[in-house]
Amino acid sequence: MERIFRVVVERCIACGKCELACAFAHGEQGVPGRSRIVIDRRGPNVGIPIVCLQCDDAACVAVCPVAALCRNELTGAIEVLAERCIRCKMCVAACPFGNMLWDSAYHRVAKCDLCGGEPRCVPFCPTHALEYVPADRAGATPEKVIADSTL
Amino acid sequence: MRSGSVVEAALRWQQRLSEGGFWAMVTVTVDGRSVKVREQAYVLEACRLAGADVPTLCHHEAVEPYGACRLCMVEVTRPEWGGHTRMVASCLYPVEDGLIVHTATEKVLDVRRVVIDLLLARCPNTPLVRQMARKLGVEETSYEKAAEPTDCILCGLCTRVCDAIGPAAISAVNRGIGREIAPPFKEPPPACIGCLACAEICPTGHIKYQTSDTSRTIWGKTFEMLRCSRCGRAYVTREQAAFFERTRGIPASYMGLCDSCKRKVLADTAAQLCVTR
Repeated sequence: MERIFRVVVERCIACGKCELACAFAHGEQGVPGRSRIVIDRRGPNVGIPIVCLQCDDAACVAVCPVAALCRNELTGAIEVLAERCIRCKMCVAACPFGNMLWDSAYHRVAKCDLCGGEPRCVPFCPTHALEYVPADRAGATPEKVIADSTL
Repeated sequence: MRSGSVVEAALRWQQRLSEGGFWAMVTVTVDGRSVKVREQAYVLEACRLAGADVPTLCHHEAVEPYGACRLCMVEVTRPEWGGHTRMVASCLYPVEDGLIVHTATEKVLDVRRVVIDLLLARCPNTPLVRQMARKLGVEETSYEKAAEPTDCILCGLCTRVCDAIGPAAISAVNRGIGREIAPPFKEPPPACIGCLACAEICPTGHIKYQTSDTSRTIWGKTFEMLRCSRCGRAYVTREQAAFFERTRGIPASYMGLCDSCKRKVLADTAAQLCVTR
């Protein structure tokens, strides 16, 4: 695992671009309601992006009766092996953070898989609230972001 | 690189694990294409990796192979067999180095046509069986249609997945033409936890159920749902939650809220943290 997905909560302006990017990356319809990153909107231009924490000792992995959830050692993300999943929805109930989602449109469980090492939401975040940083920098205080006039 | 089909995932894992020396790999030739596959695999996995279209009804990645439907029959041979070939069910035949597999010879297709013809006589109205038959060139069965058509093809996926999860609430009963899938004594099964895995895995949709945010009924047993204490949404039954709490050690406190209410709680926690100055 070389990089870590980092959320800097204070920078989120609840624009919803990450949700759209995620919805388009994981489904043909691009419905933001189906995205795996969800912004908890807490007022005008204030939000908190909520996304899978890729726990070390994950409840979803522990509860899965057929080992359909396993960690991709390259990215550190827990991925759903769709062909193994039997749709018992126990992972949806067991995740203590609510980041395992039931996608009724595609009749499957869905979770953030870091897009296989290239999270699509990150380049779309205009305020750098979402970052995919080298693992050794993940714990450091986020640097000041220089305003980009093109945004 | 996106996580897509299990074939991609299997390939990725195989490559990674074989590079690490985790699995010994063997080389198999499928329809003239040579593929590397892990030693413990069955021929079906090699066929899928080679991109060959092998139809299956009783196969699922989540459970052990069973060999019930016989649709995955292929012809295997080896150079030293001197032209002799064997017809095998690919889901149950272990790979070996140098094995040559043919998935679409006339002999193979003939066997598949007989199998689907027989299934079509048993299940003349089942959409999936009809569709697979049409794909193999069988429009109507040449046998006598069953007097009482059913959707159940006796593939055993429901009983196998129930065994894999743990309750083993249903099983195949009786023999021969009387064989069917049923709970013990055909009464509401006491061991059933109402997870619906049997109904979800059933390839033909034979197993019927009703579910809502308040209750769920399957196999004649009615369950109370574990509802979110804030909004009332439900994903699992109370029995299911208790079963997984007991067998997998997931605290019941994890399951008190639904996913969207749990995200709200996580957001509340995050709002109290200050990461930047």
